[in-house]
Amino acid sequence: MQVSPDIFYIEDDKDFAFIMQYAVKEVSDDLTVSIVEDGNSAIAMLHRYAEEKHRPKLILLDLNLPGISGLDVLKRIKEIPYFKYVPVILFSTSDDLNDVKTSLEIGANAFLTKPNGYHNLIICVQSLYDFWFNQNRNIA
Amino acid sequence: MNLNNIDLTNCDREPIHIPGRIQSHGFVLAVDSASFNITYASENCINFVPLEAKALLGTSIGQFEQMAGLSEKNGALLQLIHLGNAKKNYEAINPYPVKINGADYYLIISVSTDSCMLEFEPVTLEYDIQNQVGKSISEILKGKTLRSMLHNTAEEIKEIINYDRVMIYRFLEDGHGEVIAEVKNEDLEPFFGLHYPASDIPRQARELYKLNYTRIIADVNADSSPILTYEQGKPLDLTHSALRAVSPIHIQYLKNMGVESSFSISLMAQGELWGLVACHNYSPKFIDYRAREGVKLIGKIVSSALAYKEDEELEQQSNTNELAINRIGLHLTKDEDLLFALTGQEYTIKDIIGATGAAVLFDSEISTVGETPDEAQIRELVDWLMITMEDAVYYTHRLPEVFHPAKEYKKNASGIISAMISKEMNEIIIWFRPEKITSVNWAGNPEKPVVTAENGLLNLSPRNSFKIFSQLVENTALKWTRSEVSNVMKLRDKIINAITKKAGEIRILNERLRRAYEELDTFSYTISHDLRTPLTSIKSYTELVIASNKSLDEQGKLLLGRVVAGADKMNFLINEILKLARVGRADMEFVSLDMDRIVRESAAEVISSMNAGHVLLTFGELPSIKGAELLVSQVFTNLIGNAVKYSVGSAHPLVHIEGVREGDEIIYKVEDNGIGIDISHHDKVFELFKRMENVKDIQGTGVGLAIVKRIVEKHNARVWFESELKVGTIFYVAFRK
Repeated sequence: MQVSPDIFYIEDDKDFAFIMQYAVKEVSDDLTVSIVEDGNSAIAMLHRYAEEKHRPKLILLDLNLPGISGLDVLKRIKEIPYFKYVPVILFSTSDDLNDVKTSLEIGANAFLTKPNGYHNLIICVQSLYDFWFNQNRNIA
Repeated sequence: MNLNNIDLTNCDREPIHIPGRIQSHGFVLAVDSASFNITYASENCINFVPLEAKALLGTSIGQFEQMAGLSEKNGALLQLIHLGNAKKNYEAINPYPVKINGADYYLIISVSTDSCMLEFEPVTLEYDIQNQVGKSISEILKGKTLRSMLHNTAEEIKEIINYDRVMIYRFLEDGHGEVIAEVKNEDLEPFFGLHYPASDIPRQARELYKLNYTRIIADVNADSSPILTYEQGKPLDLTHSALRAVSPIHIQYLKNMGVESSFSISLMAQGELWGLVACHNYSPKFIDYRAREGVKLIGKIVSSALAYKEDEELEQQSNTNELAINRIGLHLTKDEDLLFALTGQEYTIKDIIGATGAAVLFDSEISTVGETPDEAQIRELVDWLMITMEDAVYYTHRLPEVFHPAKEYKKNASGIISAMISKEMNEIIIWFRPEKITSVNWAGNPEKPVVTAENGLLNLSPRNSFKIFSQLVENTALKWTRSEVSNVMKLRDKIINAITKKAGEIRILNERLRRAYEELDTFSYTISHDLRTPLTSIKSYTELVIASNKSLDEQGKLLLGRVVAGADKMNFLINEILKLARVGRADMEFVSLDMDRIVRESAAEVISSMNAGHVLLTFGELPSIKGAELLVSQVFTNLIGNAVKYSVGSAHPLVHIEGVREGDEIIYKVEDNGIGIDISHHDKVFELFKRMENVKDIQGTGVGLAIVKRIVEKHNARVWFESELKVGTIFYVAFRK
């Protein structure tokens, strides 16, 4: 029996995923993060969560993924009613305006440019945590 | 008829074949072809035979024979006439030698309407001329070229007839003539190269030259002798008469030139009067019939050679033209500069036709060869041609008449032929031909007074007729021939082919270049994008180590700190390249921009990000331009950023921005009182990653101005600057309205 993580993170870059785990722990020891490396496994995993009524508090989605793209993954997530109110945040090295626009149109709740460096990442996760976990807790 | 009324304007109508008089060195009788009674007799008979002309009229030819004291048997003349009549030609009989009172005469018989004309003229040649004529002909035919052949002709004829001056006079297309060969006594002024108007030898005179291949005027001062007759209103037709009296106009003309005796031989080509061998003597001179026949033969032989020689030379000329076209065509097909191919080679466009000059307007540059109007005049002419020309090729031999400004340069360009290469591109070729008059030489004193003749024909002299001629040919060049026009068309085709081919090549190159640019943009975008990820890893791991590794000492932390700083620096550079690449990828939708807002916002952003609140910003008028907002604001952020960055250290940093309308441009300037740019680096300022010596200590990447330049280029705008070290810099950007 699995427990759903606080943050479900789809990221193919092992390094970034690795650093992210540290950053999340740095923000809060209680915070859990689950990471998958590609879109297909992410969607499979999310369907399982839905069946088991596990709901992550936040989904972080890298835009450039091997196989199906971040935007496609986003579409598929939005098709799962169980995750209707789970915030999905696009997380990308790109800050291309077209990407931002499209992802917001599809239904992303925010578009974040991947911060540069460990310290910046901690700041970024911290603000995510503050916003989505504390202030907006009752959104779900 | 009143001869005094004849002048140059009406001598075309003078009936010169029925002057009613003959020259007085011989006498004439005419007998009726049916009755063989004498119906006409020249008054001067009495000077040759002991008979009054009047008394002869109505008598039979037989009676004349008896009374005149001819040495011939009675009836011989009648027999001759019958013989000629039967043969329908008197050539075989003429000249028939007769003795009158012991003196030798030639009788020359010819037909004149329904009369038979008998002309008697003295025999003066004592030897047989045949050998000399034969020798002369072989001399003449030695001439390899038309010119040398004609010169030989003049020389040989002078030898035979011994006149003071022998000229070869050539009729040109409009009937006017030119002296193209001349042999003369040394003391005479040359007439070589002179042009004479058509009116000097009027139409009906030219017709007579076609019928009678020789013509002698033995003495212009001798009184002509009237022909007496009872035939009312039927003057004797002297068309075929050797003694025919000369038109008083022509006599005056010769007198005015000082000529006392004149002789001519017709030169024929293809049934037309090609020219004359014109001989002048400055004292009276008669040429014996046999000598005249001898030189007539020479004339005929030269005539038959003329057509052939002329064709040969025309062919040679057209071969040269053809060769020129082919050579130029060859150069055109090679990958050569078009102007050079047309004007810079051994054969130029001038050589494809008989032009004295040519001009090419290509790439808004004018190249000329030979004699042409000056550049400003050519440009004016081109403007006119651009409006006037409806077809690919235009030609006129009277340009100043249709385009008045050309009067100024008619000397070089009374005739033009032009070929349009491209109306859109303003590309054209023009060939020039001079005004005919400028190629006419007139020897002698132009102020020489006109000789006034007693009969009032004072206007008749070569000098005067030349003046009239000048007016006739004013503003006129030689006509362009059909083959010249076709040569121009041929060349035009070749040029257009070459240009089309080249344009195709350029299009392909352009397309390749465009793709390369696109690829480069994509490439730099991807590469900077892909470089970022590992760079972030480097930085993140390093920071992670510093943050979490408790065993790290201060030295270790410091060194790892340098790694982080290096990664930051690299990240910054990558971001800058990304920005530059994005300019290339940006959609260029031009809209009208609120520059007042954009400039002020850019400036505010710069001031705040650089923490440069003490820099005094001033704005002039900021007129709207057309452009892509994001890119234009990037231009101003960069320029104002530089202005602030490099003046922030000044005592009173000042940055001023304004836009001014100038012509079809709006010129923005960003002015500072900063450190300035060294003049020797002016050309490097806009290069990527180039930074000047004096800004080493100031942060920057050398990408900003490269971005500015690219954006400006994308807007078809211009960017430049003025600067003085330690005084300041002004950057200008000129946007199209």
